[in-house]
Amino acid sequence: MSNHYIEVKNLKKYFQTPGGNLHAVDGVNFTIDKGKTIGIVGESGCGKSTTGRLMTMLLEPTEGEIFFDGKDITKLTPKEMVEYRKKIQIIFQDPFSSLNPRKTVFHSIAEPLEIHKVYATKAEKENRVYELMELVGLSDRFVNSYPHELDGGRRQRIGIARALALSPEFIVCDEPVSALDVSIQAQILNLLKKLQLQFGYTYMFITHDLSVVKHFSEEIMVMYLGQMVEKAPVKELFANPRHPYTQALLSAIPVPNLKKKKERILLQGEITSPINPRQECRFAARCSFATEQCRQEVPGITDLGGGHSVRCLRIHEI
Amino acid sequence: MQKKLLEIKDLTIKFHTDDGVVEAVNKVSLTVHEGETLGIVGETGAGKTTTALGIMGLVDCPPGRIEGGKIMLNDQDILQLDEDEFRKLRGKEISMIFQDPMTALNPVFTVVDQIAEVIANHQQLGEKEAEQKAIEMLELVRIPAERAYEYPHQFSGGMKQRVVIAIALACNPRLLIADEPTTALDVTIQAQVLELMKDLKTRSKTSMMLITHDLGVVSEICDQVAIMYAGEIVESGSLEDIFENPLHPYTNGLFGSIPDIDKEVEFLSPIEGLVPDPSDLPKGCKFHPRCKYAQHLCSVEEPAFQEYSPGHYAKCFVYEGKLPAKEVKKYE
Amino acid sequence: MAQIDLTLAPAGKKKSKKRSLWADAWLRLRKNKSAVAGMIMLATILIVIYSSPLYLDYDNDVIKPDLTQTLQFPAEGKLLGTDELGRDVLARILWGGRISIGIGVLAMMLSSIIGCTLGAISGYYGGKTDGIIMRSLDVFMAIPSLLLMITLVSIMKPTITNLIIALAIGSVPSVSRMVRAQVLYIKGQEFVEAIRAQGASDFRIIVMHILPNAISPLISQFVMEIAGLILAISGLSFIGLGVQPPDPEWGAMLSSGREHIRDVWHVTAFPGIALVLTVVALTLVGDGLRDALDPRMKR
Repeated sequence: MSNHYIEVKNLKKYFQTPGGNLHAVDGVNFTIDKGKTIGIVGESGCGKSTTGRLMTMLLEPTEGEIFFDGKDITKLTPKEMVEYRKKIQIIFQDPFSSLNPRKTVFHSIAEPLEIHKVYATKAEKENRVYELMELVGLSDRFVNSYPHELDGGRRQRIGIARALALSPEFIVCDEPVSALDVSIQAQILNLLKKLQLQFGYTYMFITHDLSVVKHFSEEIMVMYLGQMVEKAPVKELFANPRHPYTQALLSAIPVPNLKKKKERILLQGEITSPINPRQECRFAARCSFATEQCRQEVPGITDLGGGHSVRCLRIHEI
Repeated sequence: MQKKLLEIKDLTIKFHTDDGVVEAVNKVSLTVHEGETLGIVGETGAGKTTTALGIMGLVDCPPGRIEGGKIMLNDQDILQLDEDEFRKLRGKEISMIFQDPMTALNPVFTVVDQIAEVIANHQQLGEKEAEQKAIEMLELVRIPAERAYEYPHQFSGGMKQRVVIAIALACNPRLLIADEPTTALDVTIQAQVLELMKDLKTRSKTSMMLITHDLGVVSEICDQVAIMYAGEIVESGSLEDIFENPLHPYTNGLFGSIPDIDKEVEFLSPIEGLVPDPSDLPKGCKFHPRCKYAQHLCSVEEPAFQEYSPGHYAKCFVYEGKLPAKEVKKYE
Repeated sequence: MAQIDLTLAPAGKKKSKKRSLWADAWLRLRKNKSAVAGMIMLATILIVIYSSPLYLDYDNDVIKPDLTQTLQFPAEGKLLGTDELGRDVLARILWGGRISIGIGVLAMMLSSIIGCTLGAISGYYGGKTDGIIMRSLDVFMAIPSLLLMITLVSIMKPTITNLIIALAIGSVPSVSRMVRAQVLYIKGQEFVEAIRAQGASDFRIIVMHILPNAISPLISQFVMEIAGLILAISGLSFIGLGVQPPDPEWGAMLSSGREHIRDVWHVTAFPGIALVLTVVALTLVGDGLRDALDPRMKR
């Protein structure tokens, strides 16, 4: 048994579609230490959100194990799972649809407390709700507002307060700022960071935006079509990206700086279908380094040391 | 000096709703020269899209109404045109790309038909010729001719957006308005589309107005930049002016909010507070409730749009000399 | 931050007061002119009809034939004239409305309870459960609902209770379908997932989160469905399977007046007008409710 706080082994999720099996997540491994953050980065359809849903057991994995504090949560009975729900929480991307439009701010935040019957009296519960609202920077005059009366930033704060209500230990942040305006994004990112410093939360930060995750995590895992393509400590990944996809992703980010215009690696084509993928490197179709071998063999993971691993056949040649 | 293609003077657009009058666009003045790309940057509700719809003559009326100002296209005030004349203008002189490529194409027609239709509408061409031209357009946006007869659902998001661009460019418009053209796309696809737009820009003489919230995208293809906040332009200037020497506190705040991929910082420095409710805008400078440097003056009087250096304007009292300048610094 | 928030607060929208969703809905409903008109109409109809036992005597005014006064045109004393047995049409319309509207409302309540349960289970669990429930309902759907009701009533006896049951069963399939479609849509929203992530039970999710969101856009349809059911009762009575004589019922009155329509128009026209007015009032109120119950509707 390892001493990692969270350990994910060979996690797989296939969805049945009329066209065949959709390999949403296909054999992902990673670990997170307590109080740290892992960033999961990739484009739409790479399986990052599905991974987040699997981590919170909102979806049942097809295969694989998720060890949480030494216990495999995929094998829990529904009753045991209820206890783990308190410890594992999720913050959603869209603050417009992640709140029940018919519940006031108070009810949305108090809901988890009611489900788990945390407080015996109403007064205690109310206190906790106000405390949470203060924690996330929501003025208490909004307590009886409905979500549609508030803007995206405030709604996202409600979503965060709700996730914090049960004092969780591990929080999955599924693109928590991508639906928000730039100036609000920074506010929410700072809030999440502050909360982590204050309470020692462990985060899994899912995003398509490498620059957002850079300030946030200790380790980054880049995903492509359900598979990990590269995983490294954040500094190492930015300084020394090894997988052709990571390199392209990094260079594709438009930088608001006139002095540092870098050479851009343009990828050809677009993501191929994740339904019944062929036995090949999934990135081969868009990779400028791809050879015959890449199209015939599924690349294994090469460990480069220092926590840096890459899934590429030609890693030592590129 | 290049020739002015589009000149907007004091454009004011208001929406009359049950909850009150929403001042969506307030005395906006802009100029786009021939062959130039103007970036309009701002957050949700800043009035970027409404300005664009105003130029296209597509503001929903009611509740919207253009209450004042002029929009001069080639020295002709297009606000004076009647609906028929305006329709001839759209697609031919000015065309627009919308944010969501998924819904911008009609699913029951082939891609080539949709482009040919626009061409046939505005140019006296036969069916065959229009189709030929449409295929040329597709090749221009790097879609192989053999895919011309496919339907939109067979295309991916990035390709659909390229088809949309091809439709917009089909009649060689003088002005192309692109409303968040890459926001709905993935990063690597966004890079492809931006590269294509840059290439088209250098090849054709089309002027462009790019509406976006992403300063990174602006730095890629724009020549001129205007920053909008709460229906007003708070700063405008050349790309270098805005990026190297941002004047307005809001512009500075925007730069501070963006996580910089090349820097190590623990916390970002965001703009505090929220975008004001457009039906209840603050008095004086619209930005003062969120401004770190706001003084009493800012809450009573409205600053003028002052020229700081040639071509570089900002709407802040500091540049009128009414407030000490020492405090407004460049972002860290 | 707090300071800034205050200055940005939209004027007149102080959030300190607690107000329920219903109070809010009522405010919005009151602003809607056609809904107010509908409510006034409906209230008038209901008050006049349901207070009729206070000023009408069933035996003397409603069912007692007076063969000397048959088919009289409207005149003083008998404002809407008399029918083929010399009974006062106005008295019979008022008394009959109690039966028509009462049956309609009760049948709709019954069918919405059954329909919501089936629709919610079917939509939420999906898969086999959904298949079984929906295919069974399809069997009922395949038969036109009026035909189904006719069959059911003729199998059972045409008593008021049986009539209610038959009408309810006839409208269950369409109600379930509507509810199921809404549930499917709401189930896909992130907030349901968020509540699941909190560890809420299926029952709590369905009852507290999905159904309230699913039903309110349907309430107007339910109200309009009542109108449809009133028409169905009238239809059943018209062919003799609904309310039995001598009890008055609008459809039955239409039916019996039909034979004399060439000579005297009022015997059919007035029950018909009563029916139309009630249906229009219900429809207006239903439309208003749909808008009022959506908390996102602000204008």
